[in-house]
Amino acid sequence: MKYIINRMKISFLLAFSAMLIFTSCNKDLEQFYELPPVPPSGTILGDVLKANADDSLYYRLIIKSGLLTTINNPATTYTMFVPGNSAMRSFIVAISGGAVQPTDPDAVFSGFITAFISQGNAAGIVSYNTCPQKLVSSSIPNTFPNFQYPSILNPAPTVSALLRLTTFPTTRNGAWVNNIPLVPSGINIPASNGVIHHTAFLVAPPSKFIWERINTDAGLTYLKAAIQRADSGTTATPGVLNQSNLQSVLSNIGPNLTVFAPTDAAFQITLTGAITQALIALGVPPATAAAQAAALASSPAVFSNPALYSVLTAQTVKGIVVYHLLGNRAFTNNLPTTTTSFPTLLNGAVPTHPGLAITAIFGGLPAFPFVTTSTVKGLGNATAANIVINASPLIPDPNGTSDQHYVNGTLHKIDQVLLPQ
Amino acid sequence: MRKITSHLVAFLLTNLLAITAFAQNNSISGTVKNSNTKEATGAVSVTVKGTANGTYTDDKGNFKLSVKSLPVTLVLSSVGYELQEVTVNNASELLDVQFKPSSSLGQEIVISASRVPQKIMESPVSIERISSASIRNAPAANFYDIVTTLKGVDVTTSSLTFRTPTTRGFNGSGNTRFNQLVDGMDNQAPGLNFSAANIIGLSELDVDNLELLSGASSALYGPGGMNGTLLMTSKNPFKYQGLSFMIKEGIMHTDKRQRDASGFHNWNMRWAKKISEKFAFKINLELIQAKDWQGTDYRNYARAATGGNVKAGTRESDPNYDGINVYGDETTVDVRALAFPSIAAAAPFLKNFLDTLNGGRAINVSRTGYTEKEIINPNTVNYKMSASLHYKITPGTEAIIAAYWGTGNTVYTGSERYSLKDFKMGQYKIEFVNKNWSLRAYTTQENAGESYNATVAARFFNESWKPSATWYGTYAQTYVGSRLTGLSDAVAHTNARAASDVGRPAANSVQFKNGFDAIRLKPIKDGGALLLDKSDLYSVEGNYNLTQFTHKVADIILGANYKQYVLNSGGTLFAEPNGPLKISEYGAYIQASRKILNFLTLTASGRYDKNENFKGRFTPRATLLFKVKENNNIRLSYQTAYRFPSNQQQFIDLAVGSVRLIGGNKFFATKYDFANKPLFDFEDLRKGSITQINVAELKPESLTSFELGYKGLLMQDKLLIDLYGYYGEYKDFLGRKVTVQASGPAIVLGDTSKGNRLSIPVNSADQVKTYGFGISLDYRLPRNFSVGFNLSSDVLKDVPTNFVAFFNAPKYKVNASFGNTGFGKDKRLGFNFSYRWTQSFTFQGDFANGILPDVQTLDGQFSYKFPSTKSVLKFGASNLMNQYYYNAIGNSQVGGVYYVSFGYNIY
Repeated sequence: MKYIINRMKISFLLAFSAMLIFTSCNKDLEQFYELPPVPPSGTILGDVLKANADDSLYYRLIIKSGLLTTINNPATTYTMFVPGNSAMRSFIVAISGGAVQPTDPDAVFSGFITAFISQGNAAGIVSYNTCPQKLVSSSIPNTFPNFQYPSILNPAPTVSALLRLTTFPTTRNGAWVNNIPLVPSGINIPASNGVIHHTAFLVAPPSKFIWERINTDAGLTYLKAAIQRADSGTTATPGVLNQSNLQSVLSNIGPNLTVFAPTDAAFQITLTGAITQALIALGVPPATAAAQAAALASSPAVFSNPALYSVLTAQTVKGIVVYHLLGNRAFTNNLPTTTTSFPTLLNGAVPTHPGLAITAIFGGLPAFPFVTTSTVKGLGNATAANIVINASPLIPDPNGTSDQHYVNGTLHKIDQVLLPQ
Repeated sequence: MRKITSHLVAFLLTNLLAITAFAQNNSISGTVKNSNTKEATGAVSVTVKGTANGTYTDDKGNFKLSVKSLPVTLVLSSVGYELQEVTVNNASELLDVQFKPSSSLGQEIVISASRVPQKIMESPVSIERISSASIRNAPAANFYDIVTTLKGVDVTTSSLTFRTPTTRGFNGSGNTRFNQLVDGMDNQAPGLNFSAANIIGLSELDVDNLELLSGASSALYGPGGMNGTLLMTSKNPFKYQGLSFMIKEGIMHTDKRQRDASGFHNWNMRWAKKISEKFAFKINLELIQAKDWQGTDYRNYARAATGGNVKAGTRESDPNYDGINVYGDETTVDVRALAFPSIAAAAPFLKNFLDTLNGGRAINVSRTGYTEKEIINPNTVNYKMSASLHYKITPGTEAIIAAYWGTGNTVYTGSERYSLKDFKMGQYKIEFVNKNWSLRAYTTQENAGESYNATVAARFFNESWKPSATWYGTYAQTYVGSRLTGLSDAVAHTNARAASDVGRPAANSVQFKNGFDAIRLKPIKDGGALLLDKSDLYSVEGNYNLTQFTHKVADIILGANYKQYVLNSGGTLFAEPNGPLKISEYGAYIQASRKILNFLTLTASGRYDKNENFKGRFTPRATLLFKVKENNNIRLSYQTAYRFPSNQQQFIDLAVGSVRLIGGNKFFATKYDFANKPLFDFEDLRKGSITQINVAELKPESLTSFELGYKGLLMQDKLLIDLYGYYGEYKDFLGRKVTVQASGPAIVLGDTSKGNRLSIPVNSADQVKTYGFGISLDYRLPRNFSVGFNLSSDVLKDVPTNFVAFFNAPKYKVNASFGNTGFGKDKRLGFNFSYRWTQSFTFQGDFANGILPDVQTLDGQFSYKFPSTKSVLKFGASNLMNQYYYNAIGNSQVGGVYYVSFGYNIY
C-alpha cells in the first residue's frame, strides 16, 4: 500500500509540475471595450454667456425661456446666435412701444424681459437662434442659394417631431444669419458643447406664412387677386400642401421661396398697358382704349372680370405670378453684386427660360453694409424693376417692404410686374 | 435484400444446429491470461500453425477450437503481447496459457497504407495508428479527440460533438479534402458535405483502431483524400465478444462562463456474441447528452466578399455592428440612401442638414441581432446505434451485413452557422471479405431533420416581428429627430435603435419562441431557414489481391468502385428543377509491389476516376521503402491526389446573407443567363475597377506531393522515432469568387450596391505550394511509463496577393504526453496526461476570418482496473485547466470536461 501511495505521489507530482509548466493561459477573445466618452474641454454654452457682461440681457432671456438646461446639456451640441446687450436694448425698446427708453439702465431692460416677455415668446426667440450642430464661420458656405440650418424651434411638434424652423446663415457678402449681420469681433466663441456667434440685431423667428402678408397687405391686392385667378380650378385645404395651388404653396411649411411682389401700382400700369393694346387690336380707338383699360385695371377685380377671362387666362396669370417666385430663400444681402440670372418657378414649366437677372448694391452703415439698391429684370421687361428697399435697414412684417421674413420664405416688394417674355 | 436476409436466417439455423456437432470433434479448449495481471485476455487470435483454422478468445479469455488431428501447434497472437506457440497433444487437456505482454513499440499491423496488412514500421507512407488500448488509456472525453494528439493533425471544433480533423492544412468546419471512412464506408454526408463520423460513426466501445494516412491518398482511396484519410475500423464480433458497457458522467461549464455548470453524459453499450464458429453478431448503442459549448465571439466583424476582418466597435458604439456570433445583425442598410430622400421630400427644410450628417457619408446601420446563446438550443443529444451480422461462408470468407444509424443535435459552421437539429444519418452495408478479395455495397442515407441556418433564421425573424422597411423608417426618423435636438451622433443612434427596437421580442419570451420556431421550421425556399436535405449515396466497391498468382513477379492488387449520389434537398440547398439530382462516379485502381533487393521495396499504383460531370482523372503513386536495418526504414513517396468539386460546389443554389452561393455546373450558366447578363468581379468593383468574369468550366483540383520519411526503433527498441518532410503543389485549387450581376441597369464603376451578388466556385489559376515536416518520439520507460512528444509544421508558400487559400494551419504545433499503463499493486493504476500547443495563425473561413491566438490544452486521466471483471474506473478531464479555446473564428469556445467513467468488460 505504501508503495502505491509513493507511486501515486510521484505521479501527482509529475502531473502537478506539468500543470505548472502549462498554466500560462490561452488568450481570451480580444475584446474592444468602449472608452468612456471624454467630456469636452471648456465651458458650457450657458456659462460662457453668463460670464460675458455684454450677454447679460440675452442670458436673462434664456432663463425666461426655460432653455438654460437644454443649452447646458453636455450631451448636446449647439450653435447659438446671440444678440449682445445693445441689440437686446434696441429689440426691447421696439417691442415695449416706447415704455422702455434706450437710455434706461440695464435693470429696466432686465426687468422688462422678466415681466413682459412671455416664456413662450422667449423660448421661440432662443430656440430659433439655436441650431443643433456646431457651425463655426468657416464651415458656413457662401454659396447661393443659402443652406438651410434647422433651429431647435419646432413650430408644431404635434404634427411632426422633425418640423423645424430654419435659419439661413451665410458668409456671402459678409457674414449673416438671415438678413442680420454677425458682429465680426463676436463670432466663433467656443464653448464645450458648441459655438456662439454674436448678431448685430436680434434675429426674430418668423411666425407667419407669406400668404398671410399677401392676403392682408393693402398694397398687394392685385398680387392676391392674380394668385387667386391663377389658382382657379384648384383648391387649397388649410394645413395640406397642394403643390399645384399657389395659395397653398404660400401658406404651408415646406416650400422655401422668395417672392418679388409687384405693388398694386405696378400691376395697374402693366395691366392698363396690356388691356389698351388688346383693345386697340380689337379696333378700339387708342384714346378710348386707354381710358377703358385704365377703368378696367383700376381695381384688382380685373382678374375676376369674366370679360377679360380670355385675355387673363388662369394659365397666363399663373405663368406671370410664378415668374416672381424663386424656389429658394434670398434675403437682399444674399443677392449678387454683379448681375446674375436665377431660375424661377416658371422654369418648372419652361426649363430653358433664363429666369430673372438680379443685382444688388451694398451701401449704408459702414459697420454693417446693407443693400441700398437692388434690381430685378424680367426677360420681357424693358427696364429692371427695383426692390422697394426698407426705409431703414430692419423693418419687420407687416410694415417693411424688403427682407420680409416668413416661415416659408421672404418677400420683397418691387415696382414693376416682371414679364417672362 | 430480402433474399439475403432469408439466406442468413437459414445459415443461422444451420449453425445453431451444428454447434453440438462441432463441439464433439477433436476439440481443444483453454484459457488465456495476462501473465502479469492474471486477468483473462480476450480477442487473442488462436490459430493452428500452418493453416487458416483459428479462433479468438472470448471476453473471459476462453477459446475452443476443433482440429482434425493431434498433436498440433497453436499460435497465439495479439497486439501488445509477445507471440506465443503452444503444442497440444491431448484434446481433453484444458490449456492455461500465460500470455506475456510486450512492451515493444512499433509492432502494430496497419492495413490502409497499402491496402494489405503490413507492419507499421514498414509502411511506405506516413501513417499513424490508434489502437483500442490507446483509447482505453487516453484522457480525452471522446475517442475521436485522440486523433488530435497525432502529429501533423489539425482539428476544427464546431461544437462538442463536431470536430473535423485534417492533416497538412486546409481545414475548416466542413472539410472536403480529407476522407473519413468508417468500416470502409465514406462517412461524408452526401448533401451537407461534411464528415459525420463524430455524430454518426463508431461508438467508443466498438472502435478497434483508427488509422490516419497523412497527406495525399487518392491513389488508393479515390477522390477526396487530398490531405489525408482517416479510417475507422470497428471490432469484429468473432474476435471481440461479450457484453461491455461504459458509463461516463461528467461536468462542464464549471466556471459558469457560458452557462451554469451542466452535466456531460455518455453511455455506451456493446454486445457481441459468437454463436458458432460461423456466425456472430454485435449490437452497439451510445448516447451523449450535454449542454454544448457556445460561440461567444461578440467581436465586431467587417463583412466583405473575401478577406473580411474583425474590427473595433460594439453594439453600443457601432451602429453597423455585426457580431461574429450574433445573428440577425447581418442585415445592414445605408439609412442615408434608404430614408433620407423621403424625409427630405416631406421636410425640404431639412435637406441641407441631412446632407451634413456623418459628413455626407453613408450611414450604415445594422439591425439588432440575437446572440448564438439566445437562438441555438444548447442541448446536444447524440444517439448512435449499430448492429451487424457476420457469417463465415468458408473459414476464410466472411459475409457481413451492418447498419449504422445516428441522430444528433450539434452546431456546424459553413458559410453561416447552422444548427443541426435532429440530423440523422444511416449507413447500411453488405460486405464479403476474404483474405484475397473483398466486395462491399453500401448506402449513406442523410436526413437534415430540423437543421436550420441560424443566421438566416435570425434575419427572417427580425423581418417577421418588424419588417426592415418599418424598422429603418423609425430609425431614420428618430436619428434625425435626435440630431435636431443637438444630440451627438452616438446618442442619436442609441435613441434611434431604442425606438426601432420597441416591441422586439426578448430572447426567452413566448413570442420569440413561437416566431423563431415558425421560421426555422419553414423551408428555405419558402422564406424560412429549414434545410430539407435528404440526399443519399450508393456505392459498390471491390478489390482483389492477385499476389497468390503473381508473387513471383510482384504483389498485385486490383480494385474498382462505383458511386452514385442522389441529391435531394427539396430546393433548399441545391438547384433541383427536375427533382433529385443524380451524380455518378466510378473508379478503378491497380497496385504492384515488389521487393527488388533484400532492403528495397518498390510499389507503384495508379487510379482512374470519372465523374459524369468532369473529365476522367488518373492519379499515380510510387513509393520506395529502404530498409536500413531491421525496424529502421526510410520511405520515399510520390503521390498525386485530386478532388472533384464537392456536390455543393457543383449544385448549391442558396442565398446566404447578401450573396447567393451557386454551383459550378453548366446548368447555372443558363439559369442565371451568364450569356446576356455578364458577371463582374465584386472585389474589383469595390476597389474601383471593373472586371468582367468569364465563367470557366470547373475542373477538379489536384495535388502532387513528395514525401521523405523515416521510422525506426532505437535504444533497445525503447524509442520509436518517426519523421517526415513533405512538399506539395496544388493546382486548380477550388475556391469561390463573389461576382455582381446587373439586376437592372448595367453595372458601372464603383457600383457595389446594385445588382445581384453571386458567389461562384472557381479554380484558381495560381499554384499553391505547401511544405512541412513532422517528428514524433515515443519512449518506453521502465515500469510501464511512457513519454511521447511530437512536433509538426505546415507552411503555405508563394501565396498570390489577395488569394484566400483557407490554409488554416499553424506553422508549428506540439503534442506531449506522459503516462503509465499499469503501476502499483497488481499494476492496477494508470494515468495519462497529454498536452497540446498550437501556434497562432490567421484563420480564413467562409464564415469569418481572423487571427487565432496560441492554444494550449492539457488533458489528463487516472484510472484503476478491476482485473476480474476487466473493469476500469477512470477520472479524467479534457482541457483540464478549463482554458477556453477556439480553433476557427466563429466557432464554439471550448472549455473543460471533467468526468468519471466506469467501463465494464473493456478490452
